[in-house]
Amino acid sequence: MSGNGAPPFREDILEQISNAPGVSGGEEAVRAILAEIARDKVDSLEVDPMGSLVGRIEPLARNGKRKGPHVMLCAHMDEVGLMVTAIEKEGRLRFRRVGGIDPRILPGQVFRIGLAGIRAVVGTLPPHLVPRAERDKVTAPDDLYLDVGARSREEAEEMIPVGSYAVFDTTYESWGTTRKGKAFDDRAGCAVLASIIQRRPPVPVTAVWSVQEEVGLRGAAAAARRVRPDVAIVLEGTASGEAPGAPPEEQYPYMGKGPALTVQDRSLMVHARLLETIESTAKQKRVLTQWKRPAVGGTDAGRIAISGTGVPSAVISVVCRYIHAPAALLDVRDAQRATTLVWHTLETLRKEWP
Amino acid sequence: MSTRTRHLDSLLPALSEAYGPPGRESGIRAAIKRAVRGLGKASEDALGNVHLHVGGKGPRLLLTAHMDAPGIIVTRVDATGLARISLLGPILASDWIGATVSWNGQRGLIGWDHPKGATEVEPESLFLETGLGEKAAAKWIPVGTVGALHDRAERLGDLWCGGNLDNRAGCAALIAAIAGVQGPRNDLHVVFSAQSDLGSRGAMTSVFGIEPDCAVVLDVAFVGESKQGDIALGKGPCLGLKEEGYLPHPDALDLVKRAARAAKVKHQWLIRESSGSDARVVRASRSGVPTALVAVPARKTGGPRVLVNANDLEQVVKLVRQIVTTPYTGEKGPR
Amino acid sequence: MASNGDRTCADWLRHLTSLPGVPGQEQETARAVMKAFRTVADRVERDRMGSVYAWIEGTAKAPRPRALLAAHMDKIGFLVRAVEPGGWLRLTEVGGFDSRTLPGKEVTVHSNPPMTAIFATKPPHLQKGGEAERSIPLEELYLDTGRPEREVRRRVPIGTMVTLRQPPIDLMGDRMAAPGMDDRAGVVVMLRALELLRDRRPKWDVIAVATVEEEFGMFCLGARTATETLAPDLGIAIDVSHGDMPGARDGDTVPLGSGPALSIGGNIHPLILEELKRSAKALSMPYRVEPAPMSSGTDAMDIQIASGGVPTAVIGIPCRYMHTGVETVEPRDVDRCAHLLAHYLSELSPEWRAVEVLK
Repeated sequence: MSGNGAPPFREDILEQISNAPGVSGGEEAVRAILAEIARDKVDSLEVDPMGSLVGRIEPLARNGKRKGPHVMLCAHMDEVGLMVTAIEKEGRLRFRRVGGIDPRILPGQVFRIGLAGIRAVVGTLPPHLVPRAERDKVTAPDDLYLDVGARSREEAEEMIPVGSYAVFDTTYESWGTTRKGKAFDDRAGCAVLASIIQRRPPVPVTAVWSVQEEVGLRGAAAAARRVRPDVAIVLEGTASGEAPGAPPEEQYPYMGKGPALTVQDRSLMVHARLLETIESTAKQKRVLTQWKRPAVGGTDAGRIAISGTGVPSAVISVVCRYIHAPAALLDVRDAQRATTLVWHTLETLRKEWP
Repeated sequence: MSTRTRHLDSLLPALSEAYGPPGRESGIRAAIKRAVRGLGKASEDALGNVHLHVGGKGPRLLLTAHMDAPGIIVTRVDATGLARISLLGPILASDWIGATVSWNGQRGLIGWDHPKGATEVEPESLFLETGLGEKAAAKWIPVGTVGALHDRAERLGDLWCGGNLDNRAGCAALIAAIAGVQGPRNDLHVVFSAQSDLGSRGAMTSVFGIEPDCAVVLDVAFVGESKQGDIALGKGPCLGLKEEGYLPHPDALDLVKRAARAAKVKHQWLIRESSGSDARVVRASRSGVPTALVAVPARKTGGPRVLVNANDLEQVVKLVRQIVTTPYTGEKGPR
Repeated sequence: MASNGDRTCADWLRHLTSLPGVPGQEQETARAVMKAFRTVADRVERDRMGSVYAWIEGTAKAPRPRALLAAHMDKIGFLVRAVEPGGWLRLTEVGGFDSRTLPGKEVTVHSNPPMTAIFATKPPHLQKGGEAERSIPLEELYLDTGRPEREVRRRVPIGTMVTLRQPPIDLMGDRMAAPGMDDRAGVVVMLRALELLRDRRPKWDVIAVATVEEEFGMFCLGARTATETLAPDLGIAIDVSHGDMPGARDGDTVPLGSGPALSIGGNIHPLILEELKRSAKALSMPYRVEPAPMSSGTDAMDIQIASGGVPTAVIGIPCRYMHTGVETVEPRDVDRCAHLLAHYLSELSPEWRAVEVLK
């Protein structure tokens, strides 16, 4: 799978960071794991003012060969989750969502709160006690609460201060070539990036594991100004279109059919020549790829592309089912394909860019 | 059609039919570069903006007009050979019905499914018919194909009629203005920006690089966007007082008002609630740029073509010429 | 019993809230704000977009790190969009109003010279059935100046600024209501904090910025451009937080009189928050933690991501009935916020930076 010098995809990294908590604004635990992994592989490593992890790597000096463009590779560490906003006197926790979560997945869901992973359930009235007329209605998140089993505000407050974050209580598992876990958007991208830097890349690379993408592409906006790359590639986890009943041509992109390339989404139109470069590299190196659905979604690339005087930017995504939901699925072969594709693209950029 | 004549009558039709949907402005970029040859030093940046440095002594003045025009992007080809699309830019789905789009030498027609009981036209029920048949269509129109509204502006009495007048009319007026200018009183930079219809993206990066002391944005404003105090065709250029994300800077507005008085150009005031132009990002660049908006009034027709009054456009040219030769007196920026 | 500090704050609140200054037209307010800051700062200036900068020079050796404080001096209001036959004025808003709070209110139309007008209403006897159930959107409201159309057309150009005409009122419990507490109260916090810092100089340079255009558009324009100009190493926004009101949910409000509200969330750097809490405890000052899960909705949103990233925090002044003519605060909370800010800034070590170098 990992032919021609491209590094192997490190699934162990994905497992670790998928299980770790990291809601937008509270990414410390994920950052700590990635910092440990990156430390020996980068020439410099820092945490920027917003909390993004930034590592700079110089390529090996090669006699006569051109150095190539400075490439920013970016993946976001944050996931969607909840923030505890108030503690009622009976010990129930009120919350607000951080990032886009469909309210219908909340009732009956289990969450883990804080670094200690205190378990909490989103309580809901059993059907027997709900009038027939109400059973079709979706409960507004403002009317839901987290129950940690505490009997009073004091008991809850001791362990859970206001402002604590909660993540889906999901544990990473392997099912054949399929992997199940939470936050594949975008721990998949983070793991691909961490895998790529295990080998010294062919061009100068700044690896950015950004914060707060899910609440407005914020970390990348600031980081791009400091990094000032010549080219940027964002590594994402994107939604598949597969569902029963939909006509087949509507179901793309598909899990297992290779990394998805973005042409256009709500945050940017991908730089035409950069996209061509990636496409032709994929063809040449026989990496299976597919198109991401145009006009939906947005990524850090949207902010990076417009920073400063502009940066040619592209997005390569691992296709996942059920993003922004408790348990997502991906095909581990796609993660390897993405790693391979980005690696070879760096090589092409070194030879041909600008 | 040659764009060497810089008069509106030849310039506007030529610019209006150039291919340039947001993010893929290759055709209009080439047409503009031809049209401005000899007027200054031209260059292109990472987002595809065309930057023309005309030069001159005095404060650094930026004039900018977006060159992209709305388009469509193919999302898939369905089982009957019809391509399904998503829209790029602010044209309503219903206004695309009957439009011809083109790309790479190919053409297609936009139609509507007319679903039973539908009261609104949703983009999902539009289709692109290329006449290629199912197999050929899937091959020749891959996902991600970007099409432009294929149309050439023409005169209709007092009016210009065309699909891409927003904002090729602004671009044409800008070129005609600087071509005829005598004795600029500012150091003039002109940017034809890309990707305006994707959120003023080109304007952001071009202004960042130029750091002007003052900026004037040229765009098009449609009649019917305000309930009271609306603009009208034939009443001259609109000076922007408020739009989404934009309020004029007093010094920039003063420059435009003085120029309008000196050139004896009658103008109207523009206040619109829910549309915007590149002005909202130009003014927020770096340490801020005093910015004013000049808009050509236009009228929609319910279809792909829109209308602009030819005399309004001539007045915009006159106003912009005067702006270039009126010294900006506001505070200069830090650099 | 109100302290000296409370009385000073109350006086400044009365003065500043009565100034106009909608987004984009803050000039007159800026002049008054500059005058006030000149009594407490080392140096006062304005930037090109209209924000006011008041400098306190730090005692550490140059080059010194910079702390930017931000409170917006624009307040929500309207612009005249049309004069109709009959002399009625139609308005467009700058900043978000709840149009339900407008019928019957008095306003100032800032023509030269200014004139007073009323938001017109229909008396109940003339209303159709059910009409009173429906709130009137701004497009359907209009102003009556009581003057003939000819005069109105002559005196009121399109684009003239209009603000609510409601003088500050003293309520029981040493509370005060006025339009524009959002965020003139924040400006007063900065004034009072700078006054305190003169006696206890910080090591950092401190620049208090009264920003423009926080209430309008997609950016907080003044905060964003000031951050680009000053390139600070830290930013703190001072704005109003929702005070306790019936009908609001737990976790959405902070009670009046409970001291500063310190935001927690993505827009807040955790270390700054920790230090603010530590300062509050050192001053034996009550405070609340205010959850801000997605955004703080303040100038800090733009300060944080401008200029390559700035560590930020938000200090909130409890305020009831935001975006009405009767925004209500306790001057004691305003004074407390100022003390907290001054204490934090005077303790700030000149070595502290938010960038953590790991290798």
